[in-house]
Amino acid sequence: MKKKIMALVMASAMAVSLTACGNGASDTPADTTAAPAEDGSKAAEAAPAGDGSELVYWSMWEATEPQGQAIQAAVDKFTADTGISVNLQFKGRTGIREGLQPALDAGTNIDMFDEDIDRVNTTWGQYLMDLEDLVKGADYEATANAGLMAACREVGGGTLKSIPYQPNVFAFFYNQAIFDEAGITAVPTTWEELDAACAKIKEAGYTPITCDDAYITCMFGYHMSRLVGEPKTEEIVKGGQWDDPSVLATAQAYADFASKGYFSETIASNVWPAGQNQELAMGTAGMYLNGSWLPNEVKDMAGDDFVWGCFSYPEVEGGTDGTDAANYGAQVLAINKDSKNADAAFKLICYITQGEFDKMLSEMSVGIPADSNNSEWPQLIACVKPVMDSMNTRYPWAAGAEANADLTPIIKENFLKLCGGSIDAQGFVDALKKAGN
Amino acid sequence: MKRNKGMIILFLTPAVFMFSVIFLYPIIRTVIMSFFKIDGITDPVARWQFTGLANFTKLANTSLFRISMWNLLRIWFFGGIIVMSLALLFAVIITSGIRFKSFFRAVIYLPNIVSAVALATMWLQYVYSPKFGLLKTVFTNLGLTDLAKIQWLDNDHKFASLLLAYCFGMVGYHMLIFASGIERISSDYFEAATLDGANKLNQFRYITVPLLKGVFKTNITMWSVTSVGFFVWSQLFSTVTADTQTITPMVYMYMQIFGAGNSITERNSGLGAAIGVLLSVCVVAVFWICNHLMKDDDLEF
Repeated sequence: MKKKIMALVMASAMAVSLTACGNGASDTPADTTAAPAEDGSKAAEAAPAGDGSELVYWSMWEATEPQGQAIQAAVDKFTADTGISVNLQFKGRTGIREGLQPALDAGTNIDMFDEDIDRVNTTWGQYLMDLEDLVKGADYEATANAGLMAACREVGGGTLKSIPYQPNVFAFFYNQAIFDEAGITAVPTTWEELDAACAKIKEAGYTPITCDDAYITCMFGYHMSRLVGEPKTEEIVKGGQWDDPSVLATAQAYADFASKGYFSETIASNVWPAGQNQELAMGTAGMYLNGSWLPNEVKDMAGDDFVWGCFSYPEVEGGTDGTDAANYGAQVLAINKDSKNADAAFKLICYITQGEFDKMLSEMSVGIPADSNNSEWPQLIACVKPVMDSMNTRYPWAAGAEANADLTPIIKENFLKLCGGSIDAQGFVDALKKAGN
Repeated sequence: MKRNKGMIILFLTPAVFMFSVIFLYPIIRTVIMSFFKIDGITDPVARWQFTGLANFTKLANTSLFRISMWNLLRIWFFGGIIVMSLALLFAVIITSGIRFKSFFRAVIYLPNIVSAVALATMWLQYVYSPKFGLLKTVFTNLGLTDLAKIQWLDNDHKFASLLLAYCFGMVGYHMLIFASGIERISSDYFEAATLDGANKLNQFRYITVPLLKGVFKTNITMWSVTSVGFFVWSQLFSTVTADTQTITPMVYMYMQIFGAGNSITERNSGLGAAIGVLLSVCVVAVFWICNHLMKDDDLEF
């Protein structure tokens, strides 16, 4: 009997020791890659505010991306200036999307993180620290983009819980050379003007508009939102109200364009990035509705002589929204509400989003600067500035067209068919009604 | 004997304990989760809302989920037939004593060691391209203009294109399993059959196939498990937003747990758990049917 008890005790001890190893491993961040060169003695000498431990920062970028490199440079300078060591972990898009919330729930020490404005404020809203006092104390807003700060407050429920950087706007991007050759002197501001511009481009021998499967629903969402506003569009998409006249009107507008041959012949089969790479960047198509990251994505294919133009989605007759409405936003940085290093974290946020490193981030990623003092935008996206400056109303992603995850693929399938000309406007509406929910 | 019992307990306890923690607990937790509405996958139990069978009825009533199950069935069935037939054919050829056996085996297995991302990019941006694609070029050169015009990635052809690309990469893996099964069969049987006048086809029909029953079972089970987990290829063929022709239950589950595309959509990990439960039932059912249809215990060799 004694032996039996002894065996049990030993076995339990063994099991406990094994699980203890597991716990130990999960207490410390498993991924220590990309941590900056830490000078232990230096960090110890100039201990940061709070509990004296290092600052832990989870980023959505990869270390090899331009954004990751600029952030790494900002972090290195921050550490050199303040002596505060930073454990910077590049998690990548899916890494942070899948891993941040479980890590925070498990009590992992993460002082700050970054991701898209909507995801941070909506999905992870419960983990965010209110930054109003920190912003006021540092007079941060003196050089911040007022529109984006307002957008952050709006999605933060009226208070500031995140700081925007790497702003972007979703609009029509076009090839200036094709517009010039077609004799288009002013960017279209109404649907009729877009129609006329497309006719001229087609006449000149180019494809007026191309797109890829990944972004096709944005065209549907934008047109719907121009007609009835974004909240109503979202209501229609979420509630499956396909009998609303705006759905048929949108479908008719696109069916009309399809029948006039304004869309790429391969639009129904363009799997991203075929349209943007093989048509727009190669100079065979005139326009593409996309984010301001597009010129950077295709710059190596488009070549140095490619001149970009940008205009906001045109107004439609009888619609509620004008060209001052679009999906614009930014990546944002946020501080964990349980962080003991909030002051240091905010200081690092200032390093990344202001002055030298904001400029570096903008130049390296061909992106829009967040600091209003950095008034010089990279040449490739200089055309975006008037569009960005004209914005008053903010749409969420795809202007509400993707608000119902159960329907996005069905809208996508049928809108691709509509643009490809294999179904008509009524067929589009019928297909959505048939799909239900 | 007493001493032995102690030793058994001593050595079994850690394994049983680890099994319970790593396998049993997550399975039980997933089954329980499927009856709740849960926003975040790691939300504390206090925030779970009991909804009974609502997750399962919602899945049954959601056309997109039904589409995803239909796609899975098509991948499993049609893909299974293609992959198993080709794998078996190649395995028989490879083991038939041809020259350069290792070379051919390596070539057929090669797609397995190339990253799926690279393979998918090759298929999407090159083979299927309606502008300069391999298929377009080949059909144009053969004068088959109707076939050359087909847009392989539009809604009507996307599933077939995905299946072809996926099967291309899977044949080698299953071929190796078949080949090892065939090599296990003693050459004496084949020699005896040859002396008795059986041709290659008859040898295959009456020796190879019956003795490969167990390997068939292994292959079908492996194929079912990988099919149920079909995710990466679907993601690669429809980046950012899911597609009706490529969505599978795993992709649908991901959308429910982590949000869909770039939009901030409603999340429900309970629904994701319900999908997990349904898929597990499918795999168990396939395994059970295989076990009953193919009893390999009656042959010893």
